[in-house]
Amino acid sequence: MPSFPAIALLVLLPAIGAVVVALLPKSRRELVLPITTAISMLPLAVALYILWEFSAADGAAFQFSETVTWYEPWGIGWNVGIDGISLLLIVLTAVLFPLSILASASVTKDVKMYMVSMLLLETGLLGVFVSLDLLLFFVFFEMTLVPMYLLIGIWGSENRVYAAVKFFLYTAFGSALLLTAIVALAVMHGNDSGTLSFAFQDLLGLEISSNAQTWLFLGFGVAFAIKVPLFPFHTWLPDAHTEAPTAGSVILAGVLLKLGTYGFVRFNLTLFPEATVRFAPWLAGLAVVGIIYGAAVAIVQPDVKRLVAYSSVSHLGFIVLGTFALTSQGLQGSVIQMVNHGLTTGALFLLIGMIYERRHTRQISEYGGLASVMPLYAGVFLFMAFASIGLPGLNGFIGEFKILLGSYLAFPVMAILAASGVVLAAIYLLWAYERMFTGPVTNSANTGLKDLNAREITILVPIALLIVLLGIYPKPALDRIEPAVENIIERIEEATDHESPDFGRIHDLPAATGEHSP
Amino acid sequence: MNEIAFLPIAAEILLLAGAVLILMAAVTLNLGPRTWAIIAGITLGLSFLVAWVQWWRIDDVGANFHYTGDFLRTPMVVMDYFSVFGGGLVIAAGGIALLGGWRLVGSLEKRGAEYVALVLLAVAGLHIMVISANLILMFIGLETASIALYVVAGFTREQPDSDEAAIKYFLLGSFASALFLYGIALSYAATGSTSIYGPSGILAFFRTNIPEPGVLLIGIALMIVGLGFKVSAAPFHQWAPDVYQGAPGAAVPLMASGVKIAGFAALARVLTVAFGASIADWAQVIAGLAALSVVVGTLFAIAQSDFKRMLAYSGVAHAGFMLTALVAGQSGVPGLWFYLGTYAFQLIGTFIIASIISGAAGGASPLDAYRGLAKRSPVLAGALALLMLAMGGIPLTAGFVGKVGVFAAAIDAGYLWLAIVGLVSAVAGLYFYLRLIVLAYFHDPDPALADVPITAPRSTRLALAVCVSFTLLFGVLPWPLLNLTSEALPLAGLLP
Repeated sequence: MPSFPAIALLVLLPAIGAVVVALLPKSRRELVLPITTAISMLPLAVALYILWEFSAADGAAFQFSETVTWYEPWGIGWNVGIDGISLLLIVLTAVLFPLSILASASVTKDVKMYMVSMLLLETGLLGVFVSLDLLLFFVFFEMTLVPMYLLIGIWGSENRVYAAVKFFLYTAFGSALLLTAIVALAVMHGNDSGTLSFAFQDLLGLEISSNAQTWLFLGFGVAFAIKVPLFPFHTWLPDAHTEAPTAGSVILAGVLLKLGTYGFVRFNLTLFPEATVRFAPWLAGLAVVGIIYGAAVAIVQPDVKRLVAYSSVSHLGFIVLGTFALTSQGLQGSVIQMVNHGLTTGALFLLIGMIYERRHTRQISEYGGLASVMPLYAGVFLFMAFASIGLPGLNGFIGEFKILLGSYLAFPVMAILAASGVVLAAIYLLWAYERMFTGPVTNSANTGLKDLNAREITILVPIALLIVLLGIYPKPALDRIEPAVENIIERIEEATDHESPDFGRIHDLPAATGEHSP
Repeated sequence: MNEIAFLPIAAEILLLAGAVLILMAAVTLNLGPRTWAIIAGITLGLSFLVAWVQWWRIDDVGANFHYTGDFLRTPMVVMDYFSVFGGGLVIAAGGIALLGGWRLVGSLEKRGAEYVALVLLAVAGLHIMVISANLILMFIGLETASIALYVVAGFTREQPDSDEAAIKYFLLGSFASALFLYGIALSYAATGSTSIYGPSGILAFFRTNIPEPGVLLIGIALMIVGLGFKVSAAPFHQWAPDVYQGAPGAAVPLMASGVKIAGFAALARVLTVAFGASIADWAQVIAGLAALSVVVGTLFAIAQSDFKRMLAYSGVAHAGFMLTALVAGQSGVPGLWFYLGTYAFQLIGTFIIASIISGAAGGASPLDAYRGLAKRSPVLAGALALLMLAMGGIPLTAGFVGKVGVFAAAIDAGYLWLAIVGLVSAVAGLYFYLRLIVLAYFHDPDPALADVPITAPRSTRLALAVCVSFTLLFGVLPWPLLNLTSEALPLAGLLP
């Protein structure tokens, strides 16, 4: 274990960077982008160090833990740690930020404030993934709200104010319920043991009645469902995504939505196992509706950014389905798919941003035959689309495969329905590709477009490499996720009479007959 | 035992002496309004120091009583952590409000002396409300403060809005005072005392007797109504929007924050200490008022197009949040204090901004005036955004910590429904706080105003900086204040 507080450094570096950027002189605007990019490399370095030092064998335990008590009577402290579930999300966050900052070269309005918002957003997101104190978690959870609100509201496109306010109010509503549930949990701990505590480790030991679990699960669940967003809470997402500036969309899709799925895995499953088992079929059902609905709506979108936004609804549905299958495979798939979706959808938003900077339109019908004008761009787009569809050999495949496998064990019918989402994904993405890139150039405005430049290639190459790496050799990632996931499943099995279905083996068959519940 | 302990009432003595000195000197000397304001500032500063001394003193020897053993062996004034904290808060709010209203004082010329003397009298009255251990004295404090503030509300006589505000405030305010007084009379009829502590006080009475329930309940209800009016809790809030909008801009911070602090302190002392035994009777009522205030305040605030009116209605909602803490009785007091203390400074800061935008003496402040504020004055817009987020209860501002404390108290007392009503309204409330940020940051300024510079005297900026840094500081590091508030409990026993 390191002798320095790695996590504190990880979380605070962007915030310190934000102060530095804010103090830059007004006259040196050209310095803001390079300096911010350099600052955002620091948390990346820390994240890579954590990734390197992380012990895969102890993936279930919280590593790099730091505990400092802030306020004894409330049982609050800087209580942080990283396990196999949060590890990759942290690395994903640290990777996406430098790239999306670098992709913000076209921002001209109030650059300093833009970069400050981005860096504060990074602190908030990293803080959410490391927090093991529920109030601290909530603080970071809310802290992501304001910078994202500003990013959409100030630097967004035409309808930005509407989208920003809608985003804020929707998520703030969920947060209110989350806060009530968190405080209620701490108070229950106080009634039980005499001291309030917001520490996750303490709350795990709490005996919660079945009835209370239902309500608390709903309090947490609604907040996370809005954030994911799970059908029918998804209506804020297309607006926010479409109006946000490129970097905003990348972070929104890449990381912010994962706060919801991460919250489900981290808190709902572990703290309220009984309620989880009870609600699992319902949430899985909603997830399947989201998968198909999101994909179906994506097909008919005339706006390519909106199309990708709806595809997120569909993809996030897979993640929720895998989570609530309550099987080891499903959960592993969910966690790795959070990372995969962050990479592929992030890349798609980056690509859309790049073409938008050239043509200032997002309408698919405005394009056509771009492949002949921008061959490199078209190739990268197709690559990312394939990754998003889940082509074997690329990262999306391994996640969706595990999710479908895991959910088939638990809910076969739903898994079969969900599998149609993969087919629909091929339809909406490839059809969009066909309309935008193939054939002759139909719109004369597109004839002179320049292909990707060096800066844009620099942004896209790391993502492409990670996509291939995770697609071909996901084992190191899965090795780190698996112990943490097994731990959660074991906990649920201990606390309830739920038995997580698993593959039988041939020689177990006679003994297993009759034991396996459907 | 005819000794008089001066320390518990040292702040009052100082404040009254300051007010008298200023009024007398102004008859013969014409030193200019700024001098009077400086004298008043020094007086307030000294009174604040007294609060520190009192706190140390209690640490040493425990809570002290004033007029011990003289008047039916019941104390009139009590010097416990509760009084000292609340008193210090009132004085600090008064001082910051005066500093923020420097420009108004400067523009009053000869009448400046009157104005600052009235401010000192109002602070003295509010302070008495906080420290009094006798309901009659509490009423005297209430009246002293109210009458001074009625005059302040109408101080810019040449503006009809100001006159209207003063008349409205006076008529409704004196009605509420009368109800409070009638409540005291009825509780006296039921318990035989107007004093809280002491061998013949209300607490001692409850120890041995069961009071006539009907009379007592009506008495408590009337006192809740009277004080509910002062803290502008729904449905007794109708005066607030007109008064906040019409009164001179720089005078509103004291009226809005000081009265809330003292009103809630009085409410907490009366309900959780004097009638703590019948908490089962009044907690339901307070919970109902809290829920109503939160919902009504939020809904009406959404519909406003004037910033000050919006703040008045949001103040109703905030009164509801503070009432939420009171349902927990004594254990809700720390939550109440933290909320009250931080909200008072948010409110003062916000009104300072409003009076910078629409003039220190001015009334109306249409929301459109805030359009594009970020371009006209980035610092002011930043302060406004932070204060709005704090009022909305966003983490890393003091407003969030305050809300957690209040709702934790309510949940702990078994009022989960109230906490949920409050939190959902808090989210709805974000809508109008965000609207200011939308206007200031997402819109371009009105072309006619774009180049008009926004200026404020250094003292006003200083007062605003204090409010903003308090809000941020206690949002990130609330522990010192939380420790302080958790100690600032009222005495609950008989005489020592």
